Parts: sequence; C-alpha cells; structure tokens
Amino acid sequence: MSDGVVKILDGNTFVVSDSRGDIEASLTDPTGLFSFDTRFLSKWILSINGERMNPLSVDDLQYFETRFFLVPGTGTVYVDAKLSVIRRRAVSNGFHEELTILNHEDKAVDLTVRLDAACDFADLFEVKDALEKKGKYSARVEGGKLVLAYDRATFGRSTTISASKSARVDKKGLTFRIRVRPHDKWSTDLEVVTGRLGAGLARPGRENPKGSQRRMRRNLERWMDDAPRVECDWEPLKATYRRSLVDLAALRFSPLIAGGRSLPAAGLPWFMAMFGRDSILTSLQALPFTSELAATTLLALGDWQGVGLDDFRDEDPGRILHEMRYGEMTAFEERPHSPYYGSADATPLYVVLLDEYERWTGDRALVRALEVEARAALNWIDEYADLRGTGYVWYERRNRKTGLENQCWKDSWDSISFRDGRLPGFPRATCELQGYAYDAKLRGARLARLVWKDPAFADRLEKEAADLKRRFNRDFWVEDGEYFALALDPDGKQVDALASNNGHLLWSGIVDKSKSKAVARHLLGPRLFSGWGVRTLAEGEGRYNPIGYHVGTVWPFDNSFIAWGLRRYGFKEDAAVIAAGILDAAEFFDGRLPEAFGGYERTETMYPVQYPTACSPQAWSTGTPLLLLRTMLGLEPHGENLVVDAALPSAIGHLELLDIPGRWGRIDAFGRGRVDTKARRAP
Amino acid sequence: MLQERARAVTPDSVEAFFEELASRGHEPLLRKATGSARFDVGDGKRTERWSVTIDKGDIRVSRKNASADCVVRADKASFERAVVGDLNLMAAVLRGEVVVQGDPRLLVVIQRLFPRPSGRRPRRKSSGSARKPK
Repeated sequence: MSDGVVKILDGNTFVVSDSRGDIEASLTDPTGLFSFDTRFLSKWILSINGERMNPLSVDDLQYFETRFFLVPGTGTVYVDAKLSVIRRRAVSNGFHEELTILNHEDKAVDLTVRLDAACDFADLFEVKDALEKKGKYSARVEGGKLVLAYDRATFGRSTTISASKSARVDKKGLTFRIRVRPHDKWSTDLEVVTGRLGAGLARPGRENPKGSQRRMRRNLERWMDDAPRVECDWEPLKATYRRSLVDLAALRFSPLIAGGRSLPAAGLPWFMAMFGRDSILTSLQALPFTSELAATTLLALGDWQGVGLDDFRDEDPGRILHEMRYGEMTAFEERPHSPYYGSADATPLYVVLLDEYERWTGDRALVRALEVEARAALNWIDEYADLRGTGYVWYERRNRKTGLENQCWKDSWDSISFRDGRLPGFPRATCELQGYAYDAKLRGARLARLVWKDPAFADRLEKEAADLKRRFNRDFWVEDGEYFALALDPDGKQVDALASNNGHLLWSGIVDKSKSKAVARHLLGPRLFSGWGVRTLAEGEGRYNPIGYHVGTVWPFDNSFIAWGLRRYGFKEDAAVIAAGILDAAEFFDGRLPEAFGGYERTETMYPVQYPTACSPQAWSTGTPLLLLRTMLGLEPHGENLVVDAALPSAIGHLELLDIPGRWGRIDAFGRGRVDTKARRAP
Repeated sequence: MLQERARAVTPDSVEAFFEELASRGHEPLLRKATGSARFDVGDGKRTERWSVTIDKGDIRVSRKNASADCVVRADKASFERAVVGDLNLMAAVLRGEVVVQGDPRLLVVIQRLFPRPSGRRPRRKSSGSARKPK
C-alpha cells in the first residue's frame, strides 16, 4: 500500500486513512471505512477555519485503535503550532473518533471545525476492479444525525454520523462553531455507525465504543499471554515472533456463524473474509501455538460444505468453499461468492487439518462431530474431482464468466506452464493436489480407525492411497529432469516445468523415498533456491520472471511448507537452510513477512525485494515464522507426547519455545544452532 | 439425497418442500444443529408460517406460529423459487430479498436442505489417458 496509509480493524470492519486521519477515496483508491465487504465512508475530511491538517505523528495503539497528532495548516515550510489537534479513532460497528483541539495561546480562539463526509458504498470488488454503481444514493439529516444511504431494490446500506457536542449538520457533513479559552481544550465524540437494512445480518446488540475497546484490549492481552514464549540468542527472531502473534490476532475474523469464535482471514484489508485454503493452511501453521483457529476453521467450513451441484458457484457435494463475500455484487449474483467453491485443494486439506488438529489436541469429540463432513470431503476427491476418470484430482471451472481458472494456490492465469512457456488446456491436474489427496486419504484412514471405528473404510482409503502414490510416481516423474511435473494436461501429458510444488509433495508424503533426494537437491539447487528461499518457478523455465506473481517470486508461506516437507523426509539441514533464509528476510521487513518477494539471487540484491501487493499483513505469511519454528525444532506429536528433534541454523544460537500447548498440557522445547546454513547455501 | 436440479414452481411447491423436510425425520447434515426456525412466507395479503425445530438433526415441522431462534421472512414468489432451487438463499439474504432475524448459523445449516439450481454433474471423461507419453 502507498505511504502514509493507516489501517485499523475489528473482524471484517476496518478503516484505511491517510496519516492525517482523513479519507478521500475514489472508486479506485482503497481508503475508507469498510464493513462486510462494503465501503461505508469514502470521504471524511477534517478542517479548521478552512484549513486542512498537517500530520505530526501517528500512534498505532493497537491494531483496532490509533491516534493522530495534527496541527492545522498544510504549509511545508512552517507549521503554526498555536493549536494542536488529536484524533483518537477505534473501530467497532463502524468507528468511534474522539476529536480534541488544544489551544496553546494566551487568548481565546473562535474556530469553525468542519468534517466533510460522503460515501460511495462501493463493493470491495468494485474498488478492486473500478466498476459503476447501479443503485441510488441519498443523504438526509435526521434528529441531528447525518444519514448517508444507498438503495438498490431490496438491497440497502447506510451510514449514520453523529456527534456528542452540538453541531450544525447538513447533507455533506458537520460543522462546529466553537470558542476555546486560553490554554484550554475542546473535544467531541464522533460516531460513525454502519447499517445493513433488510439484511438482518447486523451483529446483535451494540456495545458502547469504550466497552468494546476494553474488550478488545483484554482479548489481545489474553491471546499474547496464552501463546508459547520464545527465548533465543538471536533478537530478530524474538521480534519476528512477536510481530506474527500480534498480526495473527489482527487477522482473526469471526464469521457470523461462528458464535464469537474466530478463524484466520486471508489478508488485510482486501481479504478479511473466509477463505477455505488460506484459513486451513494458516491454522496448520499455527497449530503448535494455538488450536482455536483450527477448530473454528473446521466448524465454519464444515457448516458451509457444498451439498449440491451449482454451476455458478462451482459447488459440488462435499466441496469446501473457496471464498465467502457479503457485498453488493455477491448479493446480486454478479459475483459467485455466496459462497464460491472453486478451489481444488481446500477439500483434501480440510481432512489434513482435521487429523493434524487431533494429533496436537487429542480432541476426538470434534473429529466425531465432523465425521459426516470429513467423509463427504473424502468422497469429493473420488466422485467429483476426478474429471478425467484417471484417478487424479483435476479442476476446470463450470462458471466460465466469473469463476476461477486456476483452482490451486498458484491461481494467477499463467502460473501453470510447460518448460517452453506454453499453457496447458483444461482440466488440469496440478501435482500438489495429488499429494494433498494422498495425505487426506491416509489421515482419513487414521481417523476412521481411531475415532469413527470403521476399519473397513480405513483399509479402503489406505489401499487407494497406496495406489495413488504408485501411479503418481510413475505418471508425474520427469525422467530426464529428476523432479515431478507441475501438472498433467487434459491429455495426460506432463506439464514439465520445475516449480516449488515439489516441496509440497514432500510435505504430503506422496514422494517415493528413492526419489526424495533428487527432489531435495532441486529445492536447494541454484535454479529454485535464491538464497532467501525457494522460487515458485525455477530459473530457466520459459515463463520464469523473478518478479512474476507465481512464476519466480519467493513466497514465505510456500517455503514454510517446503521446509516441513524436507523435515518429513529427513533433510533437516536443508529445512534449516530455508528457515534461515526466510527468517533473515523477515528482518528486512521488521518481522512482517510480505506475501511474496522477488526471486533475485541473494548475492545480487543483498536484501529481499518486496513484491508490490495490496495485502499486508497476510495470514499465511504471518503464520510462516510459526511453522518455521516448528520445523527447526522438529516438533512432532507422537501419541500423548511431543517429540523434539532440533536442527537449527547456527546463527540462531540457543532457542527455547516454552509452554507449547497440546494433549500433553504444556511442554517446553529447546535447541541449539549447529547447522552452518551459510556453508550449505554456497553454490 | 438432495434434489440436484431446479424444478418448475407449482402452487403447492412450498407445501411440498416442508412436507418432504418433515418426512426426513433425521438429517445427518444437521446433526450439529439444535434450535428452531420459523419461515414467514407472505403474498401481500396473508402470511403462511412453518416452524422447523431441529434437535441434533431430528427435524420436526409444524404450522404453529411459535417463537423461534431464527425467523426467515420472504414473499411467496421469492420463497417458491428458493424451494425449487431457482434462488440462492444466501445471496437473497445479502440483498434483503429474504430477511433473517436471530441466529444466522441456523440459516446457514438450513440452507443446506434447499435444492441447488442447475446441477451439471462434472462429467468424467475417459477419452484422455493419464499414462506418460512415450
């Protein structure tokens, strides 16, 4: 995002403003007050005696509140400091702003304080794609409050603005004519409340803003207190860990149906929504630190699991949703997100998360409660995802207008290609989907035997998994390159580019032991490994571009799963090299890993070049340091115990992770850095 | 299993939908749900009501005007389309065509019992071969 942009949020309500606290949005400018995927305020400008403010400092108190210190006047040379202005803003159901004006002079001052307000009620999709509105706008003054509204047939959204001090309210804002005595101050509380007419979906009750801030402060304190503690010799890791915990707290999102519990949304601010894939993968990354996100994710995604065939939404029975949205375009079915199901990995990953959750928590009650959903997900793999009848998971959208073409995590248009850069047709069977399906079957078998008491089903799943593994190692193995093809094309031909997906295959366990060494060699080799991390696509491939979204950049989340995969096959030093690279990179971003950074050689740029992106923090980047801590310490639940088998980069020195929660209660893990990652990194 | 294809609306579509619901007795898709929902379906002149109580998946349907954890209001034309799979309940709620008061989770689980609109089953094509090219 551009400089000087300040974001605060609560769940899916958030405010993006400039460093003065002002909002001046256009259809394409992403500032404003947003809630339920709709912009509820697009103009919010403070002026005093006709002058705009000049920012002195911004104080980010918490992720849900901030304070702007300002002086009137926009002069760049000289600031007239006879007045100071403080705007303290907190998000609730809309936002609450305490506006204070301090007079530093020996004489009283007469001021005209003006807040200009307006709203375009844009759908987030419109803000991203710059589309025109179809409904009607209105503004009215009602009981001293300004009400801005937008109506389209039965669809209505409104914003109500009021102040605690007497104001002259017109259709374009509020004006205060005030006198501030010498060395005195004046202040008012401004309330901006969002309304969703007719939808009946407003959260029940409305807390007072102060109470809501207290609740959120307590909640954040509890979240931080509950998390395991990191002690280590390397200060940046402690800072990165702390940053991750706070950002993960901010990214928690309570879907309407979760009864106040939360799951990780995908990213700030555009993806404060329920995403199947992102919520599942982030919950997996965070499991050793908190299991609450996983439990809520499993329940909420289970409630929304597909039950029938709906081409517009790409829904099938048993399919786990891709994305849920609440805005106008979704409401009028101009977009399919109510919810949209076009994801081929969320469904097998759902079973993977359920099993991993049980292994950490021992919570069999939840596994029992979700038996129907897990079985439906496993059934989807064979009955609805095998579009070619060849025993693999394929994807091809049925919604050709607004559905997603690529339904794997690399979802941009050119992410799946042959070595020579050609794009395959549809349907496509990308390799990591087969790995996830294999893992889901084996984990489903474990749960069937242990919790559902259905050994026959378990046997069947294990047999299918073994068969899948055998065929996969034959059909996807690129003989002359010694790695797995990125995908199969509709004719069953190998889409033969070398990509980071090979790391996910190690994580899933589908790779034959005899092939694993060659795969690991590629992952740490010069074509894929940049020195910071594994590139999404290998250097030398037709579409390779170090700043191409899924064709050459390094994705921290991708690397965290690759590191986990390397550990699974016993390559713990290689996992440590990747962990060291990504954690080194995190230091350059003040502990907040971006979604992706450039695939340039580390020795070439010396610092990681951030890929320009609208989302920061992003959930699975935030979860990355957590999963890397797990892989470096080699944490693995084994029955009722937690096994620790550390392989740490020597730069980290001594590392302690204290009070790891799980079925064992709380446990501590220790490790000492012995892996010389610099030497291993050298070509 | 659920109907997977939108059907034409008939004068007794709504009645038939609730009768079919009642005849299920137990619905595994709802076994995590307990609560009551009332559907108020109006045609401008009069409102017909159906009360659905769910007890861990056991479904009972009555025509009583009982208080409920979740009240769903819709006009008859919209609701008729919903029960034949021609109107997506969630999108209709988002645009205010169907209004929900009370616990929204109940609506989420109950919408699973409504038929889906088009239902083209992804065809398994057997023309291609997954064999490696020689």
